[in-house]
Formats: sequence, structure tokens, C-alpha cells
Amino acid sequence: MIRIYFAGVDIGSTMTKVVIADEGEKVVSRVISHTGAEHRRLANRVMEEALKQAGLSIDDISYVIATGYGRINVPFADKQVTELTCHARGVYQFRQGVRLAIDIGGQDSKALKIKDGKLIDFVMSDKCAAGTGRFLEVLAPTLGLRVEELGETSLRATRKVKISSTCTVFGQQEVISLLSDGEPLEDIVAGLHDAIASRVASMARKLKIEPDVVFTGGVAKNSGVAKALGKNLGCEIFIPDEPLLSGALGAALLGKETVMKALERGEPVKRSEHRLEEATFFDQVE
Amino acid sequence: MARYMGVDIGSVTTKGVITGNGKIEAFLIIPSGSNYRAAAEKLREELLAKVGLQPEDIACVVVTGHGTDRIPFGNKTVADMRCCARGINRLFPEARTVIDVQGQSSQVIRVGEKGQIISFAVSEKCASGSGRFLEIIANVLQIKLDEVGPLSLESENPVVFTTGCAVFGESEAISRVAEGIPKEDILAGVNKALADKISALAGRVGLEEQCAISGGGALNTGLIKRVEDNLGIKLEVPDRPQLVNALGAAVMAEEKSK
Repeated sequence: MIRIYFAGVDIGSTMTKVVIADEGEKVVSRVISHTGAEHRRLANRVMEEALKQAGLSIDDISYVIATGYGRINVPFADKQVTELTCHARGVYQFRQGVRLAIDIGGQDSKALKIKDGKLIDFVMSDKCAAGTGRFLEVLAPTLGLRVEELGETSLRATRKVKISSTCTVFGQQEVISLLSDGEPLEDIVAGLHDAIASRVASMARKLKIEPDVVFTGGVAKNSGVAKALGKNLGCEIFIPDEPLLSGALGAALLGKETVMKALERGEPVKRSEHRLEEATFFDQVE
Repeated sequence: MARYMGVDIGSVTTKGVITGNGKIEAFLIIPSGSNYRAAAEKLREELLAKVGLQPEDIACVVVTGHGTDRIPFGNKTVADMRCCARGINRLFPEARTVIDVQGQSSQVIRVGEKGQIISFAVSEKCASGSGRFLEIIANVLQIKLDEVGPLSLESENPVVFTTGCAVFGESEAISRVAEGIPKEDILAGVNKALADKISALAGRVGLEEQCAISGGGALNTGLIKRVEDNLGIKLEVPDRPQLVNALGAAVMAEEKSK
């Protein structure tokens, strides 16, 4: 039997993610790479890597959906779909009872109301760094820590220091003076986690907080924020094994559904040529 | 003749003024650094040395600004906004509104005939409403702060900053540099963004002419032009706008001694 494959490419502000799934919705390959400044060149490189991992060539892929803020820079994509739709589908795959998904990325945060894998409503914040992963990225070096170390550090806290600044820039100054006042590092980190969690929770409350709640995005890798978010929302939250991949996974699965629907109706699948090459500025203009 | 001293501890610089007979006899501006107390003590010493006076020759000292509770001298501490209103009143008795653009906040204050506060609006929660935003972008562009004004006035196509966040603004500025956008357009864009925030504040308090501008932000000619265009008025600009609060503190010291 010939197996067919579907790819989802999610170009976020910080990370680019690719998932390849087969017709049985099994993930056969997944790659996460830094987006960096040159994401026009990146999509095909990350795609090649994902294909190599699965031992496939681009011709084996039936359908490619691109998503994320850099989705227009994927020249080999058959279709572009917004990250919200892809996200909803991806978290549904992880947990079918999901009613609320909270995603904190490097440059925005959003809350999605989901029913049966479909997006019903959403709220998002991308105008201020303080409610996003950027807040932690700016503050971690000020504390002499790497972003990856924040979660574990905060779990050692005995209390949380109240952070009064609502702005990332002013927060940096506040953290410096808290350190010089002799506040323990872990208590400051716990305070920062609570600051971002309470900000995102109050945004999410504009939708109804209804379990199950799934937490995704790069910041979901931070166990301290996860704990603080659960506390702020007053409910258990579930985190996928790889919280960065829900957009790319959702994109791959939506690709599968697009193809299957067309096959059922006996219609041809509208596909573009799968050119594995760098996007140019002309692609963007078109 | 009795002398009075006003000291204003800012996030970037610490300022001092000595007055006698209602006139400025001496002033000084030094960097605040990381120790406000040390900066304040150094300022007082050097300021007194300038006019050859001893601490006991000063009838009253008023301190204002950041971290005033840690300053070991001074007869009285007064909120910076009150000092700003008094200071501008001494310089421009006809002024009824003052726009104060500082390193960490901006405020628009309605001022009465005697230099008292009638009403005010403050932006202090977000760096993009303060001089800090300019500092951050000037640093990206490797431009000295005093060059920002003249350079930005050369621009005909100010860059649009899309988010209203200084952190995201920094990333946007870096992207614009990478795209080859001239630095004057980026600086003009920051001035425009800041002027828009200030104009919104002015809208909240209600602007009454004459209107003056003070604080370190008033050294930026590009910002002044933008605010003037936004509000459709001409602003009174002091010779040394960053000294207004210190002067106001000295005026407060005069009043306390009466």
C-alpha cells in the first residue's frame, strides 16, 4: 500500500516548526528551528530536514499547509491557513475535550475557545511585550539566567515577590533593584511568572474559562508559568509533550482533511508545485 | 540675602538650582548613576562650591524626584509634579499647561496663576510613553540623544511603529535598519509615536494656552515640532528645560521659608 503524507509548516516569530503526518494521523517527523532574521531562506531548509528524518522526498508529500506569521514565505505550500485555525486543530488532536487553549509565544499571546476542534472565538494580545514570551526573554539575562532555567528556578521559591511594573522595560529596572535589595533570585522569578500568568489569565477571562484547558507555545515549556497559570485560572491545565508543535501539527492534519474531502467528492485537489527553494521578495509581492 | 536650593533626582540626571532674590544664582546637572544618594550629595557639594557657599548658608532645601526618602539632607520633600508646576510658573507666568517629558514618564499638567496644579494626566506604566523609548531606539541606531532632534527633523517619511511597545519597537527599529531605512526616518517615527501619546494625554486634561514643555524630552526639537503640529499650538520652551523641576523645588523652598 502506498502511504501518503501531509506537512504543516509553522513560521513563528521566534521558532519555525515542521510536522509531517501520515494518513493515519501518525506523526512521522518533526523539526523545530530558530526563525532568525532570514526566514525566507529557512522554510525549505527546515522542510528538507524534516523529510530527511522521515526518509521521504518532497514528492511523497500530498499537501503542505503553511501557517504562522511568516506563512507567506513558504513557496512550496499548497495553502496558507491562519495560526488560530491550525492551533485549534492541533490542540484538539492532543486533547479532544479541549474548550480553551492558551498559547504564549515569543511575540504574542492568545486564548482560543474551541469546540470539537473548531475555533469559535479568540482574544489575542500582540501590542505589548509584557504578556508574551518576550517579557521572559528580556528579563532572564538580567537575572543571569537562561530562559530554559527559569521554570526550575521558580519551583524552588518559598514565596513570590510582587512585581509592580506592567512594562517589560520598567520591569527590568525593578528586577535590578529587587536583586540589589537582596531578594532571593527564585522568589523574583516566581514573581515574574505570576506577573505574566495573571496578565494572560485576565485576557483569557474575556472568553469563558471552561475545562479542559490546554496550554501551548514556547512559554508552556516553562513549568513555573504553567503552575502560575493554573493557579490564576483556578483549574488544571494540560500541556502537550511538545507544546511548540500544535500549530504545525494542526496544519498537517488540516492538509489531510482537505485532500480526503476532495477525494470523497471525487474532485481534483488544488495543489501548487512543490518547489523546495528559497522564497524571494517577489513571492511576497504576489 | 537668603538662598534656597532645589534638588531634582531624575532617572538619568540629577539637577540642582540655587536661587536668591527670586533669581537663579547657580545650577548644575550631573549623571544620576546607580546610587541616587551619592549623586545627590555630590551635586549639593559641587553646587555650593560654584557660588562659594556652605550648607548652612542655604535657608531651605527642597528635594524632589526618584528615591527622595534616601537623601540625607533637605528640609522637605515635594512631589515632582508640584515642582514642575511651580518651576514653569516662575519661568512663564502666563503658562496654563505644561507638558513634562521625563526619562520614565510623561505628564500634562494644568497650572493655575500661582503655579498650583489644577489637574493632570500621567503616563508612567509604559516605557513607550516616556523618554526611555527614545533612549532605546537611539541606542539601536548608535545616535547620541542630543542628535535625535536635528536628525529627525530631516525626515520626510517617518517610520510607523505598529505596536506602541518599546520592546517590540526596538525589534521594529532593528528590522527597519536591516531594510536600509535611513536613521532619520526611524527617529522621526519614534518622535511621532511619543508625540501621539503625549497629545492623547493632553486631550485628557484639556489644553489651555499658553502651553510650555519641560523635562529632558524638551531638548528634542523633533519631538517639540511633532507635539506642536499635533496640538496646533506653539510651545514655550525654557532654555534649560531639564532644570524646571529643580527650579520649582527651589521656589517651594522659598515658600516654605516665608
